Amino acid sequence: MQPNPIEIQTTLSGNIVLLCRFLRGKGFPVGASEESDALLALTHLPIGNERYFQKALKAVLTKNQYQQSLFDELYLEFWKQLSKAGDSKIKQVQEPKNQQSGRREKEARFESLKDWLNLNPTEEEKQVASFSDIEVLAKKDFVDLSKEEMQLMMRLLQKMARRMAHQKSRLKKYSKKHRQLDLRRTMRCNMRHGGELQHFVFSQQKEKKLKLVLLCDVSRSMDLYSRFFVHLIYAFQNAYDKIETFVFSTALHRVSELLDNNEFEKAFDMISDRVPQWSGGTTIGSCLYDFTNEYGYGMLDKKTLVLILSDGWDTGAPEVLKEAMQAIYKKSKKVFWLNPLAGSPDFSPDALGMKTALPYIDVLASAHNLESLKQVLYQFRQKRKLRNTSLV
Amino acid sequence: MKTPELQQIQKMLQEQGYIGDDTIAMSIFLAMKLEKPLLIEGPAGVGKTEISKVMAKALDTDLIRLQCYEGLDSTHALYEWNYQHQLLYLKMQEQRVQDLKALEETIFSDKFLLKRPVLQAITHPKNAVLLIDEVDRADEEFESFLLEVLSDWQVSIPEIGTIKATSKPQIILTGNRTRELSEALRRRCLYLWIDYPSFEKELAIVQTRVPEVDIKLGREICAFMKELRQMKLEKTPGISETIDWARALASLHLTHLDKQLVEDTLGVVLKDWQDLRHTQDALSELLDKTGVTSRIG
Repeated sequence: MQPNPIEIQTTLSGNIVLLCRFLRGKGFPVGASEESDALLALTHLPIGNERYFQKALKAVLTKNQYQQSLFDELYLEFWKQLSKAGDSKIKQVQEPKNQQSGRREKEARFESLKDWLNLNPTEEEKQVASFSDIEVLAKKDFVDLSKEEMQLMMRLLQKMARRMAHQKSRLKKYSKKHRQLDLRRTMRCNMRHGGELQHFVFSQQKEKKLKLVLLCDVSRSMDLYSRFFVHLIYAFQNAYDKIETFVFSTALHRVSELLDNNEFEKAFDMISDRVPQWSGGTTIGSCLYDFTNEYGYGMLDKKTLVLILSDGWDTGAPEVLKEAMQAIYKKSKKVFWLNPLAGSPDFSPDALGMKTALPYIDVLASAHNLESLKQVLYQFRQKRKLRNTSLV
Repeated sequence: MKTPELQQIQKMLQEQGYIGDDTIAMSIFLAMKLEKPLLIEGPAGVGKTEISKVMAKALDTDLIRLQCYEGLDSTHALYEWNYQHQLLYLKMQEQRVQDLKALEETIFSDKFLLKRPVLQAITHPKNAVLLIDEVDRADEEFESFLLEVLSDWQVSIPEIGTIKATSKPQIILTGNRTRELSEALRRRCLYLWIDYPSFEKELAIVQTRVPEVDIKLGREICAFMKELRQMKLEKTPGISETIDWARALASLHLTHLDKQLVEDTLGVVLKDWQDLRHTQDALSELLDKTGVTSRIG
């Protein structure tokens, strides 16, 4: 997009319109109605007070706290540019786009990943290789699954997810089934009998879908599980209102759009292209902190479940992690920490990151096999129990 | 009705004991001039709700308040039919032969309409102040109900038609940012963010609201609150807590803070058990920073 060149305008109203355009270019939602508001506002001001002028424009043109915090600086910048534009045309520096076009060969496609995994059969897999009914499947570690089992697993999970994804909201809507009388419609319906109540109309609770935020650790220790898990969640994404996905290792990346618009495998390849530290070390704390800072306000609310997929091996400072977890815990419906290591019987949350985060986790789960995952999905619907991490 | 000028608003705020800065006055002024709703956000206890009360008082009109909660719907916010009366009326009319259409028109008329806050506000004879408190607590669906009122000043009732505002109320919406409000709602409002006050502003507020407090004590209280807000607390105390505390200490006829006193009265300021504990642990340090030296005897 070409930025609007700022030219000097002789009239004040012209400059106001330019300011609106300038702000729009900076991402402010300034439309025609805001422009007219701004012009109208100025007609009401006492004349000749520069400070009022700025305050009035700020009140009219900003729509949230973030914009308010930016406004004053942008306002000054605008007038500076404007006066410069009087002398010569200003060249706006186009922000350097960070586009790496060279497509690397990716080493870890999902299918090849599975093949690789199947080349290293564990004891457990040998045991169950001959028959694969649901019972056995339920207890098998995901990384030990064969392709067919995988498909079966997906079908099972989809069924589960559909059952669990529907939740009651407190708003009522019209229905024939449930026993909550809808007085308004009952009255209407009985008008023709002269007000004698013969038919009753009932209302039912409206369904409310959940929102999910996935934060996946893709450092070397977690890569396989994260890929699997994201795949899994997206397999039944229509059961949820909204899924936001982030991957992190040493930095946080939002990948929701990529996953929405592409086939899963292609998307993941693109992600590993974009994320330079893919499968590197981890700073969980600072990544989660970035998340709360940048997205926390818009994405977290009391309808949102936060799923963090990580083994808790944090190389950053524990205070940062603590603060981030605190913020996430406070703003969300429930916090799940999925740690595949928790699947082993002698697991205890020893990793420092794990220990720090524990007070702010509602459910710590291994989610390494179907049974455990079922527990997690079941917990999606349960209310938060205060200050008590349950291990499933 | 004639809307007041900017200076008048500043004066008006002051007269009502509301210490606000130019930004607040400007937002109120423009909201009145442009006849737009004012959306106020900020942490708890910084005087968001208070603004509407002051406005209603200053404009000498009624304050109509709509407290939002999860599950709030149009029947509680806009209007509802009075079903009991409708039924009784129909029973009474039973013996008389009547035109059905006329009957329907009667029972769906103004007489049987229960006006909820929003409808009350737009049919109010004087320009009322409508406070929609904690709008972020209501469901997102509720915002859509509001949109019609906020931009077109009317409420649609299927049985009657559209009720237009006889007087445009001054609408104030407040929010605590528990969830993001929709872009559509934001765009219809002017926006104002109120933060915790500076030391000077808070001191001025304390002195206005609690005139009986000792000047030195007031200073100490405000300095202490300022330091307290720097701590990471579950529930950071707002101005209302400061005022409560000042009032409490003033009623004890005290002139200085000391450690014992703060410890004993901390419950006025902090409402969370963990916050209390953490603060008590760090009390000496906090008081040092505040500049309160502990006296013996």
